[in-house]
Amino acid sequence: MMCSEREAQLNEYVDGMLAAEARALVETHLAVCAGCREAVAELRALVDGARGLPRAIEPTSELWTGIAGRIGKGERGKGKRWWRGALAAAAALIMGFAIYRLLPSSAVFYGPEVDGWAAAQIDYARATDELAGALALERDRLEPSTVALLERNLGVIDAALRESRDALTRDPGNVELRALFAAAARQKVELLRWATRAAT
Amino acid sequence: MQADPSDLIQRAQQGDQAAFEALYRAHVGRVYALCLRLTADAVRAEELTQDAFVRAWERLASFRGESAFSSWLYRLTVNVVFLSQRAGRRRALRLFTTDDPAALERPADGSGTAGVQLDLERAIAALPPGAREVFVLHDVEGYRHHEIAGLTGIAVGTSKAQLFRARRLLREALSR
Repeated sequence: MMCSEREAQLNEYVDGMLAAEARALVETHLAVCAGCREAVAELRALVDGARGLPRAIEPTSELWTGIAGRIGKGERGKGKRWWRGALAAAAALIMGFAIYRLLPSSAVFYGPEVDGWAAAQIDYARATDELAGALALERDRLEPSTVALLERNLGVIDAALRESRDALTRDPGNVELRALFAAAARQKVELLRWATRAAT
Repeated sequence: MQADPSDLIQRAQQGDQAAFEALYRAHVGRVYALCLRLTADAVRAEELTQDAFVRAWERLASFRGESAFSSWLYRLTVNVVFLSQRAGRRRALRLFTTDDPAALERPADGSGTAGVQLDLERAIAALPPGAREVFVLHDVEGYRHHEIAGLTGIAVGTSKAQLFRARRLLREALSR
């Protein structure tokens, strides 16, 4: 049995990521700990096994026909893959619903456990996380100056969101503060949607 | 790794579908293996393989040869897989279990390692998604943690934690 507190260290040892001093300490420990020696042997076997897996696996179906059909329809250059539109639309829907939830009457639908405000914040976080994640993977296609401007603008909006959230923590029932938060959240989603479209 | 004749790439960049098909034939096995291991879902892997090649066709003009075509294509494939998941299109997981190992079966190579590899493939497929993705990218595909962080949007520390968790779960599974 490996010493559980050494899991990360032993993994990094196997990966060759430790500096000489740390490596020497691990080797000193390995000399007296059979459990960790066994764990290191297993980790090495696992890593070697993973490296030895076949690089290629042929699909069981012929996929080229479908690809040829799609590229033959001129998908090149269009850039606006349907899922990006769907993502943007989904984010807009989520935000629309989230803002609707901010209305006082929405508490009827959520009850005391998850009130409209909490649900709206969850929806907002989901929408922005999905868009930000998609953008993170595509941002290298934007001009550096655009990325810089985008980050500045997002920073301003995030600051507004933080201030609104802090204020709402102190005064959670304030409808005007909720509207302010919703406006900033809407701006952030709109900006991310624009950037995601621009990057594609 | 097969070399990509630059004229094939250039011809494909100019819209020659036959040249692009030749590139597809040379790389489909690697691309499908990557999609299959990342998703543990044979049907989804085929869809994503098609998406990756269509995306590659769309983006060929942006390939300028700074890296190998294969590296560019596999990175693009990883992007396609993760974008698909982020877009919420992931369907019900059809995990490989002992009931459904066929898609990972390959003819025995005569070296006696095929059974061990199949056990490992099955164990990888049964990992939780986050741990599986990092393990496949790091230990199978050879990406470094900072590259995984860039590709997937997770932090380097999270990538390491998921890798160590995956290895722990795999050691447990393979020792049973």
